[in-house]
Formats: sequence, C-alpha cells, structure tokens
Amino acid sequence: MIARWRRDHRDRELDEELHSHMRMAIEERVARGERREDAERAARREFGNLGVVKELTREMWGGGWFERLAQDVRYGVRTLRRSPAFTIVALSTLALGIGATTAMFTVVHAVLLRPLPYPRSDRLMRLAYDYPKSPFITEGGITDRQWVDTRSRYRTFTRVAAMTPGLVTLTNAGDPVRLQEASVAAGLFETLGIAPALGRTFGPDDERIGAEPVVILGDALWRERFGADSTVVGRAITLDGVRHTVLGVMPQRFAYPLDARLWRPLRIKLSPNRLQMLSVIGRLRDGATRAEAVAELDALATAERARDSVIARVTPLKDTVVGDVTRSLLVFAGAVGLVLLIACANVANLLLMRATTRRREMAVRSALGAGRRRLVRQLVTESALLWIGAGIAGAGVAMAGVRALLALAPAGRIPRHGEIGVDTVAMGFALGVSLGTGLIFGLIPAIRGTGSSVRDALAATARTMSGRDGRLRGALVVAEIALALVLLTGAALMVESFVRLRRVELGFRPAGLALLTVDLPDATYASAAAMQAAHQAVLDRLGRIPGVALASAVNFVPLGGAMVRGDIKVDGRTIPPGYLVTKPSVSPGYFRTMGIGIRLGREFTAQDASSSSPVVIVSQSVARQIWPGMNPIGQRISNKDVPGPGDWLTVVGVVDDVGQTSIDAHREPAIYQPIQQVTQTFFLGHMSFVVRAVGDPALLLPAMRRALRDVDPNQPIGSIGTMESAVSATVAEPLFQARLIGAFSVVALVLAAIGIYGVVAYSVAERTHEIGIRVALGAGRADVVRMVLRRLVVLLVPGVALGVIGALATTRVLSSLLFEIRPNDPATLIGVAVLLAAVATVAGMMPARRASRVDPLVALRTG
Amino acid sequence: MAKPQRGLSRIELLQGTLDLIVLQTLRWGPRHGYGIAQMIRASSRDVLQVDTGSLYPALHRLEKSGAIAAEWETSENRQRVRVYRLTAAGRKQLDAERSRWEQLSEAMAGIFAPPAPEAEA
Repeated sequence: MIARWRRDHRDRELDEELHSHMRMAIEERVARGERREDAERAARREFGNLGVVKELTREMWGGGWFERLAQDVRYGVRTLRRSPAFTIVALSTLALGIGATTAMFTVVHAVLLRPLPYPRSDRLMRLAYDYPKSPFITEGGITDRQWVDTRSRYRTFTRVAAMTPGLVTLTNAGDPVRLQEASVAAGLFETLGIAPALGRTFGPDDERIGAEPVVILGDALWRERFGADSTVVGRAITLDGVRHTVLGVMPQRFAYPLDARLWRPLRIKLSPNRLQMLSVIGRLRDGATRAEAVAELDALATAERARDSVIARVTPLKDTVVGDVTRSLLVFAGAVGLVLLIACANVANLLLMRATTRRREMAVRSALGAGRRRLVRQLVTESALLWIGAGIAGAGVAMAGVRALLALAPAGRIPRHGEIGVDTVAMGFALGVSLGTGLIFGLIPAIRGTGSSVRDALAATARTMSGRDGRLRGALVVAEIALALVLLTGAALMVESFVRLRRVELGFRPAGLALLTVDLPDATYASAAAMQAAHQAVLDRLGRIPGVALASAVNFVPLGGAMVRGDIKVDGRTIPPGYLVTKPSVSPGYFRTMGIGIRLGREFTAQDASSSSPVVIVSQSVARQIWPGMNPIGQRISNKDVPGPGDWLTVVGVVDDVGQTSIDAHREPAIYQPIQQVTQTFFLGHMSFVVRAVGDPALLLPAMRRALRDVDPNQPIGSIGTMESAVSATVAEPLFQARLIGAFSVVALVLAAIGIYGVVAYSVAERTHEIGIRVALGAGRADVVRMVLRRLVVLLVPGVALGVIGALATTRVLSSLLFEIRPNDPATLIGVAVLLAAVATVAGMMPARRASRVDPLVALRTG
Repeated sequence: MAKPQRGLSRIELLQGTLDLIVLQTLRWGPRHGYGIAQMIRASSRDVLQVDTGSLYPALHRLEKSGAIAAEWETSENRQRVRVYRLTAAGRKQLDAERSRWEQLSEAMAGIFAPPAPEAEA
C-alpha cells in the first residue's frame, strides 16, 4: 500500500518535472521571438514522446524485484488486452493443451502412479503359479488344494490370504439385485491392513464348512440398501435365498477386489474331481525380497509339480490391479503430450510473429535506454502471463475432461476409478506444465524479438528482416506437421483396427435379437429338474410375447463373458492332445433363433429329453478336425475321460462355427448339448434367453422382464438388452480408444493447419510488395500461387518425412491394442500423409489465393 | 591503461558517457533538467543534443546511485522546478570517470598518432 502511494507521488513529481522542462523550453523560444504556437510545437517535437520518457525514467527508480515484476505484469496485461484476438487464440489453444494433458495426467496418476490405498502397499504382492502346459488353466493362481496345504508355511510373508470373486443375489432389501462379491480367507482384510468401519472381520471359525453363514458389507451397499444403519451388524440378510448374519461393514473407498460389494468367508471343500483357482495376496516380510518369495513359492510347489509343470510368480499387487490398462493409459498420455507440444509450438509461432511486428517498438525502446535484459524480461512476463492464464483455464478444462473421460470410458474398464479426481497434485502438474512450456516457448520469441540492432530495425521495414525468424517459424511448423502426422497415424490405426473388429463375421445374426440373462441360485433351485422347469416356464412366456418370432435358451451365450471349454473323447478315433472345444448347452430352436447355419442333420427338438438317448451337435470345424471327409452324423463323442456305455453322445447335426468368447478371437470349435439332457446344476444356473424379434428387439425388453417376474418374482435379472448392444459392449474399449486418440489427432490436425495457415499467410503479407512487383512485371495469378505454394512445400515435405519416421518409430507401442493390422501398415501411413498434405494445402491455399489477387498498385504504394 | 571492458553494449557505453557529462555539468553548480540540457548543448557547441528520453533516466539513475541529489525549488518566475546538485560521492565518481575518460582519449590519440619507431629488435 505504502509503496504504491509513494510510487504515485513520485509519478506526479516526475510529471511536474517534465512539464516544467517543456514550459521552460517554450518560454525560451518565445523569448527568442518565436510565435507561441510554433514554439510549443517545436518544443514538443524536441521533447519527444512524453509517455516513453516517463516510462524510461520510471525504470531507473528500480525498486524491489517484486515492484519490477508487478510493473512488468501490469504492462503485460495491458499489452495482451490491446490485442484480444491474439490473446484469445493463444489462451484457448494453450488451455486446451494444458487441460487435456492435466486430465490425462490425473487419470494416470490416480491409476498408475499413486500407491494403492493400503498401509505400506508396496509390500503387498500377488502370489501365483502359472501352468504353462495345462490346457484348462489359462489364468494363473493358486489351487484350493495348494492353498490348504501351504497357507501356514510361508516364511517370506507376514500374512497371506486367498479370495475368489463371484456373484450373489440379494433379496429382501429392496428389489432383488445381483451383486459382485468375493469369498475371502480369514485375514484378507488384515493382510491389506484395513479394519472394518463397523463390527468385525472373519476369523478362522468362519471358514469352517457348515458354520453359520456370515457376510461383511461394502460401504456403498450398506448406504444404498441399508440406509447406512449402524445397527445392521448382527442382523440377517438374504443372499441367494439363504439368511446370512452381517458381521461388519468395511470403510468407504475400500475396494478389494475392485468391484466387490460384499464379502463372505471362503469355505473350501476339496474334491478330487474339481480344482478351484484362488487369488492369493500376501504382505512381504520386512527385509524379504521378491526373489526370495519366488524361491519360497517354487519350493512349496512340489505337490503341484508332481501333477503339472508350474512357474511361481510374485507380482506387486498394484501391477495386478492396474494390469492391462497401463499400456492404453500410457498411449493416451503420450498422445495428449503430443497435442500439448503442438499447441505450444503454435503459440510460440504466434508470439514470434507478434515479436516481429513489435520489433520497431522494441528497437525504439532499446534506443531510448531500455536494456535488452529488461525487454526480454518484459516479453517473457507477457508469455508467462499467457501460460499461467492458460494453466488456470486448463485446470478447469481438466476437471471437465476427467469427468468426460470417466463418463465415456467403458464401464468397469478403468480400475481405481473411485480414486480419480483433480487434486492438488494434478493442479501442481498443470501449473508446472504451463510454467515449463511457457518459459521454453516464451523465451525463444523474446530473445529473437529483441536482438536486432537499433539501426537495422529502424531503417528496415518488417518485410526485410524476417529471414531468421521465418526459418524458426518454419521449423516450428515442420515440427507441428510431424507430430500431427504421428498422432494421426496412431488414430488411423486404431480406427482401422476397430472397423476390422466390427467387420468380423460372428457366425450368428445379432440384428433383431434380445437377450435376458439370469443366474438361478442353487439354494432356491436345488435340482437340475427344478432349473429346467423354470427355464421352460420362462421360454413359454417369452414365446407368447407379441412380436417374438422365436425364443430359446443357452447357458453360455457367445460374447457373454463366460464359456465352458474342455476336451472330448471320440469313439474309435484319437484326437490331437490339447484339442479343446467350447461346450454350450442349448434349448430346441436355438440355432434358428441365433441365425446360426445348420450344415448337416437336424437341430435339437423337444424329443431330445432327459429320458431319450443323449445327442450332440458339433460345429463345422469339429467335424472337419475329427472326421475329415466323413459323415459325422451318427458318430459318437463323450465329455468323460473314460466313457461308460451311457456317456456317449450321438452326433445329430453340424452347425457353423461361432465367435464364442470374444469378437477378436477366431471362431471356435463347439459341441452343443440339449439343456434337457444336462444333469449338473452348475451348467444350468447361468442361463441366457434369446428371442428373435419381428420388429425392434429393444421394444420387447419390458415384456421380457415381466415374463421372468411372472415365473419368479425374487429372481433378479443378471443383464438384459439387445444382442447388438451386447456385441457393441465387447468392442466398447477399442471404440473408446479409437475415439479418444481420434479426438486428440483431430485437435492436432486443426492446430497444425492453423500453424501452416499462419506461417504461409504471414509470408504472403511480408512479400506483398514483392508480389506486387512480380504482378506488375507480368506474372500471372498461377505464378503467384505457385510461388506461395512453394513456401508450403518447403514446410510440408520435411514435416511429412519426419512424421513418417516418427510414426514408424512410435506406433509400435500400439501393437497390443491393434486387431489384424500392423502398426507400420503402409496403406494407413500413406493415407494419413495424403490427408495431412491435403489439409495443409487447403490451409496454405487461402493465403495463396489472396496473394494472387494482390493489386500491384496498392502493393507498391503501401509496401 | 584502462582495463578493456568486454561485453559492453553501445547503449551502456553511451550511458556511461552521458553520466560523465551530466556530472561534469553539475560541477559548476545546481541546475534543473532543462538547464543541464541547455548547458550541454551550449558547451559542446551544439554537437551534443541530449534528448529528454536519455537525460531524465540518467538524472534519476544518478540520483538513485547517490551521485547527485535533487530538491524542489521555486524559480524566479515562481514555478516549482526540480534542481539537481552534485554530492560528495558524485564528485568522487566524476573524478574517477574523468581520469578514465582521459586515459581512453589518450589511448585513442595514441592509436591515431603516426606509429613510433620500433625500440627493440
């Protein structure tokens, strides 16, 4: 305050001093006999620019660095306000770049960089064995047998705990609902180091087979379904039709495994015929290393090794949690970084052009005594203001961006999304990025803009002095073109890959199908017969819905996320070891409903009942593989390793192969059995009902819900929707990736086009005089356009060349995200280069056409 | 011989010279800005015309460095004018800079003088 007041006072005094100088000069001239007006005019001319003199004098007062900075900032704000177009373009370009980068950083930081929200989470490991030779075990883990044998023998871990995820139906607490749950060993929460918010966790007694059913609730479920009632502990809730006592409630934000809503004790009943794969985590003992843990796991695997070859693995828990999104997140982060670089290059270019037009101002100021350092400082302050403003705006963009990202990302595909938010770290990042890029990209134009000598600047016009800057601006645009090309190539690859994914022949016709999936709990439907009766009841009701042409059922629907795969025995033939087929069970009419072609024989009918002889339908590739050149109808196969007389299934039909598990896996061999002939409830509980609609399948969904409710009002719907949306959901992630990278690359392309336009337009403006002379000397329009386009080619050719090299070097990181297209696909590269060249030509043509219309008279007069 | 100053820009050289001229002018007594400008002009026989954009920054710079002091006085036609006078520090600075200047001009004179015969073989 006082400093400010003192400064104002001094300002007034300086004003008075300079005015008295002027007055004395006038008086003296008058005294010499000049006319008063002449004297005033002469004195004023002699005095020079009052404002500049004041400004220069004020600079001598110096003051503290803060005062000087405040002065620079005031002056900078004033200059920026004087050219609003420049300021708005620069600010919004930077804000977009910084905002997008910050948004991406926020996600990367929360998902990949921040430690998991458990105490000393870096000591948490996942313990697993891989079974490289086993055809059945595709995902590593620890078998229930191995877990029971070894759980108390680990020495390198202070605690270990096993769990397995599952689904459970909650009833009598609002609408029936299907929930993600986890069965966990006692000590899981303690291993993670998280205590319950209410009640207690599981003890060893809770693991006993036959012990009282108990459950621990997640915070979100507790709030949604139990009104955050703290007396819920000790009450009973109904899960899969069985009453469970609530033992406790976990605190907010506790999420392990990521999507579990509630936890039940893991009760292991070993069976010689079945293996259960468990997910085991452990807390590494202080001083123990991962290598020691691996060695211990390896040593403990003797029993397993007797059965199969195993590889022990100990992986930091965080890596297993974030696992497969790491690559795509890093790709996005790289892409967004390129956008930021392009944005900065663009603004640096704007600053350079501005510096050129302001060179006379700078030269005059420096002639009048302002030091170069002072001018550089002034220009850097101006840039810093731009970048800081953009950083603040960018933080806003980031908040919106993070929300949009999470909303657009396919559900459940971003792990730890509950932890994502624009926090102080992200804000600091935004500020750091803006300051860093601002200093680098703001300093170059400042140094360039003030370096020329006074005499050069004053004697020359802007036209003749831009050679050096022209090259720098050109280099920046070349860099922009190259970066944009890299991004565009990445985007084009992702889009092309997505298109190919969508073009995959699924083997069935999804259009017109609607799908309803349920999980019938064993507790309510104790026998296969009970389940089959329920299926039939639902099918009967579905078939009566107006607009339904066909209704059928399948336990593991293609692309439904679950599939049974196994080996088979063939009567009278040996098959290659490790030959696995998918094994769905279906109702009569399934193939017609799905639109799966029947090649030979017949479909299942109601006559293929539990009492009749067991039948099977095989897919074409099975028929070709097992009975090449033979008629498979009437042949016999079995699911049993050593089939008894009643275990043989007779082939009655051959159908087309279908993409069963995912759209990008190849179509798989399959054997189908009629659901009426399935005897294990395990293969009947999970059931999808498929209907083929006469019209729009979406219109049938309410009636389908009603049909299920009529059969069992307590049965929640697992999922419902059209088959087309189910198919789209399986490609939601590549679609999201393609869209996101596509959006980034469009921004990059637009920015690069603006950069090209700016540089070409500027070179036209500089050369108006020259163009005028050429036109006056008889150059035609075409010649002028050619001349301007030559400038464009000089930018484009090296830009595209560098971009192609860059793309070849970097798109390799995409290979794991791509489907049936190689990252160096030449057609894509050429296409992108042509597109970029076309856009650049359009951007460059606009100023070229303007140049061709230059009127030589005007150009020569004003040049 | 004065130590050669490296990296001095032309502007700074001019500044130094202007400081010397201003100090020298004030040696003959306190004066206001306009008076100083007039006096420089007169005593250099109109060769040096200091423009206000250099003079006032120089005056305020010298005031800040303590070489000169300023106060407001009322002139004979009853106007407030800011009058500068040399301080003791200014006098010392003037002496120093003048001897430097003299050395420089001697050196310059030497350079322009016909070369002396070589003394050594």
